[in-house]
Formats: sequence, structure tokens, C-alpha cells
Amino acid sequence: MFNFHVAIIGGGVIGSAIARELSKYKINVIVFEMGSDVASGASKANSGVVHSGINSAEFSLKARFCVEGNKMFQHLADELNLPLKWIGKLVIAKNDEEINKLERLKNVGLKNGVTGLKLVRGTELKKQEPHISCVSGLWVPTAGITLPYQFTIILAENSIENDIKFLLETKVKGLKKINDHFQIETNKGNFQSDIVINAAGLNCREIVSMIEEPDFNVYPCRGEYLVIDKNYSSLINSMIYPIPVEEHGFLGIHITPTIEGNLLLGPSAEYINNLNDKKTTKEKMNIIFSEAKEIIPFLSKKAIINAYAGIRCKLSPPESNKQADYIVEESKKTPGFINLVGIESPGLTAAPAIAIEVSNIVSKSIELKQKNKFKYKCNKRIRFSEMPTKEQSALIKKDNRWGRIVCRCENVTEAEVIKALSNPLEAQTLSSVKYRCRAGMGRCQGGFCTQHIVRIMEKNFNLDIKNMKLKSPDSKLFYGRVRGKKGD
Amino acid sequence: MIEKTVDIAVIGGGPAGLASAISAKESGAKEVIVFDRNSWSGGILPQCIHDGFGVEETGLLMTGPEYAEKYIKMAKKIGVKLLNETLIISFNKKREIKALNKKGIYKIKAKAIVLAMGCREKTRWNVMIPGDRPSGIYTAGVAQALINLYNILPGRNVLILGSGDVGLIMARRLKLEGANILGVVEILPYPSGLPRNVVQCLDDYEIPLFLKHTVTSIVGKGRLKQVTISQVNDNLVPISGTEKKIECDTLLLSVGLNPENELSKVAGIKIDNRTNGPIVNQDFETTISGIFACGNCLQVYDNVDLLSMDAKKAGKSAAKFIFSHKNRKKIQLKKKQTILHIIPRNGISYVIPQRISKFGDIQLTFRVKKPRGLSNLCVSSNDKTIFEKELLCSNPANINKVNISISKVTSIKQLEVKLNDR
Amino acid sequence: MIVEKRITCIICPIGCEILVKIEDGKCSSMEGIKCKKGEEYVINEVLNPKRMLTTSVLVENGIWPLLSVKSSEPIPKEKLFDALKEIKNTTIKAPVNSGQIIIKNVAETGICIIATKSVKDSTKNNGKTILV
Repeated sequence: MFNFHVAIIGGGVIGSAIARELSKYKINVIVFEMGSDVASGASKANSGVVHSGINSAEFSLKARFCVEGNKMFQHLADELNLPLKWIGKLVIAKNDEEINKLERLKNVGLKNGVTGLKLVRGTELKKQEPHISCVSGLWVPTAGITLPYQFTIILAENSIENDIKFLLETKVKGLKKINDHFQIETNKGNFQSDIVINAAGLNCREIVSMIEEPDFNVYPCRGEYLVIDKNYSSLINSMIYPIPVEEHGFLGIHITPTIEGNLLLGPSAEYINNLNDKKTTKEKMNIIFSEAKEIIPFLSKKAIINAYAGIRCKLSPPESNKQADYIVEESKKTPGFINLVGIESPGLTAAPAIAIEVSNIVSKSIELKQKNKFKYKCNKRIRFSEMPTKEQSALIKKDNRWGRIVCRCENVTEAEVIKALSNPLEAQTLSSVKYRCRAGMGRCQGGFCTQHIVRIMEKNFNLDIKNMKLKSPDSKLFYGRVRGKKGD
Repeated sequence: MIEKTVDIAVIGGGPAGLASAISAKESGAKEVIVFDRNSWSGGILPQCIHDGFGVEETGLLMTGPEYAEKYIKMAKKIGVKLLNETLIISFNKKREIKALNKKGIYKIKAKAIVLAMGCREKTRWNVMIPGDRPSGIYTAGVAQALINLYNILPGRNVLILGSGDVGLIMARRLKLEGANILGVVEILPYPSGLPRNVVQCLDDYEIPLFLKHTVTSIVGKGRLKQVTISQVNDNLVPISGTEKKIECDTLLLSVGLNPENELSKVAGIKIDNRTNGPIVNQDFETTISGIFACGNCLQVYDNVDLLSMDAKKAGKSAAKFIFSHKNRKKIQLKKKQTILHIIPRNGISYVIPQRISKFGDIQLTFRVKKPRGLSNLCVSSNDKTIFEKELLCSNPANINKVNISISKVTSIKQLEVKLNDR
Repeated sequence: MIVEKRITCIICPIGCEILVKIEDGKCSSMEGIKCKKGEEYVINEVLNPKRMLTTSVLVENGIWPLLSVKSSEPIPKEKLFDALKEIKNTTIKAPVNSGQIIIKNVAETGICIIATKSVKDSTKNNGKTILV
């Protein structure tokens, strides 16, 4: 089929959230994702925080969608069986001068509709966070953490269960509006749709310019992160943030516990020239570590197990002192072309609310009739390592592949790896496995499991070793055989 | 749950686990089980297809797989049970072990435990190499497994970081398989591996060795494209302006090994942060009674011969523990153990054992901090020299071994081991 | 004609640097030699260098895809790549036992290539290849 009601360009958290929302209705939707899996861009490379709304400018779309999305998150997490923990956030003042700023921040939060805010200090603060160094803090209970890559994957896979089509490794090369339809040219063929939704993340401007003159510029701003070993997870109980520097619009280098038990340090903020430059730098890695160590003196460089970077799609240049807002609207020049532009933090939190807004926009041109059978519930992903012993024994008895551990650091079984590789998106890279079942995310970073996962890909899924990838379409892992079979 | 009681549980079926298990059986232990997470025994040995193993023991240069098979045969012959594809999830001070395999979950009570978990490779992030995160970056051990066990070629144009033996061996291996080795990069001013390997893996194939250099950047969007190396100063800090760009599709990291002790830490075994292995006494017993450690999880050995010898001692000690423990219950000895601590000083990185609980002949193994010519090894207590030995030359890459005799002198509080220039 | 060569002796960890002068196929002088073993090594290394060859052979129907092998003794250096070529074109059928001769007289050197590992027949193992 090549004709659709709606075509979504981009399989990040925004595109996937919109897909899932639209999958409730009797329309044909297709999603084009140029990466080898969903969440290939900023959607996997962020802090995983469900923000309260305290940091967004009053009356902005960022604030509106953040607070709305935050309220929707628990319900969504229950439906999708998405890991979510409301661990709260502590914004800290390092010295007495900063205490006034905490008061100001509290007021902004109140105006944005954030609840439960409380200033803490002294013994109460020490009891809450015994290992951090600060004089006072603003406690924000409505902030939570989730797994951004898993959120995106679950949204996408649930959409597929509800008949949405996802095409991976598919890049949109051309876009034309002819009469009332859009002609979409991709490397996997040509398609037609009534509505096009531009959720292409950093490539949003490139997509817009295929069809009209963009009236915005993208200023990529890179954020680097350091990942800390699980052995250090007990150092903090909630997210720890410094006071944000308003003019820059950055949250500053903060420390986020992850649902899995690691700590994330970062992100940094650096404007760069190239949209694709996701490299980590020695300079920023050192700054991130030293700033984090000021907050948590017990941190050690030995604790670093990984580093990564994501790029924010900023719409205002570095010299500007006013932060641009999201663009979430149907193009005035091209009806039917809906733009999601500049979705940086709090994009993850905002995603469910943005999806509803987009669905409302779509409903103005296309009648949205509810499906009779919408599979809104997702099964909980079985994590062998988290189950009680009795249940573990029962699983092994049922299928003995639960009895073979493939990733020793994270205790991930062969059964989970096979399940990860059997995903409905048909994403079968090493990263796809990692993001679905955690194999390879431990302190040895794939030192033990890589060979075993590759063996499973080869033997259970008949994947040719020459086609196996790490994460992106051209990230091939191997060059062939050491000893070829006759005729190779 | 499958419940079992064993005399000795050996965690890890590599050379250390096998040697200690055999020795424990020879010393009279009845039920000895070796647990290994792989479907094969021998640990890392089956992928070490090069020779150089077992010279001291047998006079023959064996390859890794041959050495492994020899020990596996001996183990089976003497009645050691090898339980493969079995992962130890945890163990505690009471020597209760939780294990897992395709048959189910095991709860094992062991009279003694021998830790032989080996070590894991340091990753890119342990040495913080900045840059892109493309495919084509492998630790040397993983590349070795891919090539030698699974018939998979990881790359064609290869740069190797680290001139330790693993890196050098892989340079030769890949060269023989038609790869183009662009060089071996070493941060120190001298190679870390044996001179034999420098000659037979690098010189033989005219592979350049970049001493006093390190990798400072990685470039590649999908697959690795280019690596930047820079010269370093005496403080190992990269010198700006000395950058050299090398086009390659594969970067092999041979940047060090970390003893694998996650299980030990959870059980509360005290770890020496100089070795990253358990603190042990002269019998290889850790700080938890009845739990012994040997092999690469105790210290990273540079040859398997010494490793096996020490592992045999650990196995013997574990067997002795069981018998004395049985008797102790009957006799109810209230023996006050005097612990003598051994402290590394001048020029010494670490010494094993870190404590002595019994007097007599003690073997000390240690590593020096820097390569040295003629020097004097001195073991002293309260500035009084107890033992002295001349060392012709020493290198951090080689473990040194001395045997000393400690007589029962109550005034000794601790022993200090240091190097003096001659 | 006198040819000069620098050799690092590898017999012991000291690694003496030797400067050798070769005249008419013999070592006319060796500067830096400190022991007899070293002298023997240097002479062999200069006049008739040999190397142990350890590599892999493709296996058919084995529980492992590759068989690790070694030369039964060191091979003259100049014959190494010829030997390798022959080994690369060889396939052996499982089961194989460690010590088994895989190639007799490789590259006309009179030296054998022998298995250093035992590989069972996977078809006798219910067609199960080791999922290692």
C-alpha cells in the first residue's frame, strides 16, 4: 500500500507518540524513520526526566505541554507498562547567595501550575540527601524518571500492534504537494498521503525546505553525558540540579539517577556547527565530572562506564537572551503539513500532550473515528533479574533459555535477547538488543555478551554477519569470515 | 530450586579454577565442583591459539587450547565435576551460593569456596577516549574471540592501542589473516609486552610501534573512519601540535585488565585497591574464612605457569580448611590469629599476600612501579631488614617472586617491601 | 660483502641489543652478547630465522566453526605465508582430536600442521553447534 491518510517523518519519541495516538483511529498511518531503529536521535540521548514544568517560561508551549504531559505520564505508564518512578528533584543552592534564586524558581513553578514545591534545608535536607554538598534546596516532587529509549520503543511497537506501519532505514528525499495530496519520495519507494507530520528532529528544517521556505533556523547544541556505575547509585535518592542560568536556557550539569540504577552526569551545552556532530570531548567530560564531584564528593573517575552525546534542536542562536518556544502547528503556507520544530527539553515529558494536540489538528481535516478494538495495553517486559527466585525457576522450567545468562553484568538471559531480536519493528542491531533488554549496558560494555549476542543473531535469526550492525545503517560490525567456506 | 552441598565450590573454570580444583581433590576433598558460565571449560584459553603456555611446568610450549585440554582431562580423571553454562549469581559469608543454568536455580552450600573468576578488559571509557562512537572499536579479547572461536573478521585496516601481550598477539593474528596493521600505540616510553612478542609480532611484520603516544580522538559516523594519535609528555598528557591522523576501520583496545570481583564485593570480601583483587593471606584465603582466591581475579598474572602453581596452592589450602574446620568443631580451639600486614613501599606497586597469619616460608609475588636495572629488594620490619635480594632487572610487566622465611617474632607489627637502588 | 643487522635477544627479559656482522653466510662478529643461550639464539635468528605458526582451519560439521592448529616445529620465516596459503585452502571434517595431523609436509617444509584442539562432530550431537 502506498496511500496513507497520515505520513509521519521521524520515529523519535515525538513521532512515535503521535503514531500511537493516531493508531486509536480508523486511518492509515505510516512512519518513516531513517535510522535502523526508533529513537535514533535525541530521543535516546537525553536524561530520561519527566519534568514538572518548573523550568519552562510562563505561558509558553513548553510549559503548557510539559505540565499536561506530566499529568498524563502515570496513566500512560500504567497502560504501556513503562518503567516510571517519581523520585522527585532537588534544585540546590551551593551558597547563601543562591537561596534567593531558589525562591524565585519556586514562584515560577507555582505560576506554571507545579504542585508540592517545598524549600528544604538543615537536618531535613541532610536526612533526604546525606551525600551531597549544598546549603539549601527546592524540593520538586512531581519530577520523575523513565527510560526514554524504551518509552519510544514501546510507543512504536504498540502502534504497530494497532496497524501503524513503521519503515526503518527509510529517508525522505523529496516532498511535493500536488492538489490535495503529498507525494513523498524515499529511498524505499514513493508514497502518497493527505497529511504529512514533520517530526524529523534535527532534520526538521531540511524537511520543511523540501516544500516551502523555512522561517526559522536550527542551532544545534550538543549535550554530553557521563554514565556512572550502578555501585554508586546509593549516593543520591532523587535528581540533583544546580540553579538554572535563565539567560542561557540550560538546566546546567545535573545528576540523574536512572531507573536501572546508574547515575547520569550532565548534560553540557555547546553550540556546534554540524547537525550530526555527536562526539564527546575530553574538555566537556572533565568539566561534567568536576562539576558533579562538587555536588557529590564521593564520586570517582573509576565509576565512569560510558559517555554519550545528544544534540538539542535549538531555535534561538547562542547570543540571544530569549529562549525560543516550540513550534507545534499546521503550516500556514502549506495546509496539511504539520510541523513539530525545536522540540528540545522538556520534549520527552511533552510528547504525550503534543501527540494529542497533533491529533486535534489532524481531526480538522480528516474525520477521526475511534477503532473498535484498540490494543492500548502492553505486556510488561519480563526482566528475569528482577523476579523472585520462585518465578525464575518456573520460567526456566517452561523454557530453559531463561536459564542461560548472556549478559553477566546485567543478568540478562538468552530468552530476553531472543525476545528483543524478535521485535515487531524488525530492528536487529546490537543497539536494538541493548535498548530492549539491557544486554551490553553494564560495566564491561559488551565485553562478554557481544560475542554471544552475535552468535544468537547468526544461529537463531540467520543474520549474515556481513549485514550485522552496531546501531545505524552504515555501522557495520564485521568484514566477513576468517576462513571462507568453499565458494565464498 | 536445586539444593546441593559440596565440599569445594570453585567459581570459574579457567586455568586457575581447574588447577585449584585438581589440587583440592588431590589433597583429599571429596566433592569438588567447578562452575563456569561458558559452555566450554578453560576460560580464556581456547581462544588463545598462540603458543607460550606451560613452559615452566612441562618444558613444552603449548598453545592455550592444548593447555586447557590437558587440565580438563586431569580434572575429569581425578573426579572434579565441571558444571558449564552455569552462572553464579551470588554467594555470601556463610558460603551459600545461588547459581543458575538451564536446569534451574541452584542453592549450594559449600564447605569452602575458591574464587577464580578471572578478569575483564578495560573499556574505551575506562581510559576516556573522546570522539564519535562508531562501530569498529573492539577490546582485543573480544576481537580474539571473534576471530579464533567464531570465524568472524572484525576489520581490515587496524590500529591497536596498547602494546601489552594481548595487543601484540592480535597484531600478528590479524596480519596473518590479511589485515593491514597500521600500528601499535603505546602511552609509555617502552612496550608493555614481552620482548619476544615485540620481535615476533611487530618487528617481523614491520608494524610500527608508536611509543609515548595515545589515541586522542575517534572519527566515524557509522563505521570507524579515522583515529587521531598524539604524543604524550612525561606526565602522560597529550602534547598539542603532535596530532597524527590515521585512517583505519578498526581500533583494538588493549588497555589493561581488571580483576573480576563483583561477586566478591557483594559478599563483603575486602579488596586491595592496589591489585583490585581480594586481600589474601599466605594460604590465599580472603578476609572471609573458608573463601580462597586465585588466578586473575586475585592479581593479573602475566604467565599461566605461575598462575597455575599459585592456584594449586589455593586449592590445597581450601581442602585443608575443610579438614581443620571439621576438627575445629570437635576440639573447639580458640586460636588467636596474629595478622601481619605486608605493605608495599618504594618502587613496589603491590605485594601478594597482603597479610600473613602463619609463620614459616612465605612466597611473595610483587610488581615494580617502573622498569629498573640493578636494584635491591628489601623486606623490613620497624626499619630492621629481614630479607634482601638483588634484582638484576625488573619491569612492571613481569610479576616477581621471592621466598622469605618469617620466624615467630612477636615484635613484628607489619612488613614493608621496598626497592632500593644499588 | 658485510651486512649489519640489529637483533634484540628474546631469551630472557633483559633483551640485550646485539649488533651482528654477517659475512659469507656466517656471523663474523656479534657485539653485545652476554650469554651462550643468547649467542645461539642470535646466530639462528640471523642465519636461519624460524617461527612457530599458530592459526585456524575451517571445520566441516564441527561443534566449533574453526580448529586451532600449530606447526609441529618452527617454520623457516620465508615459508610462513606459503604455509598459511595452504592452510587457508584446507577444510577438515569433524571429529578432530587434539594432536591429529591436519597437513603433512606443509609448503614442502617437511613440517606438519597439527590440531591443538578437539572438535566433536555436531551431527552426532543432534546437529547442535555449540551456542557458546
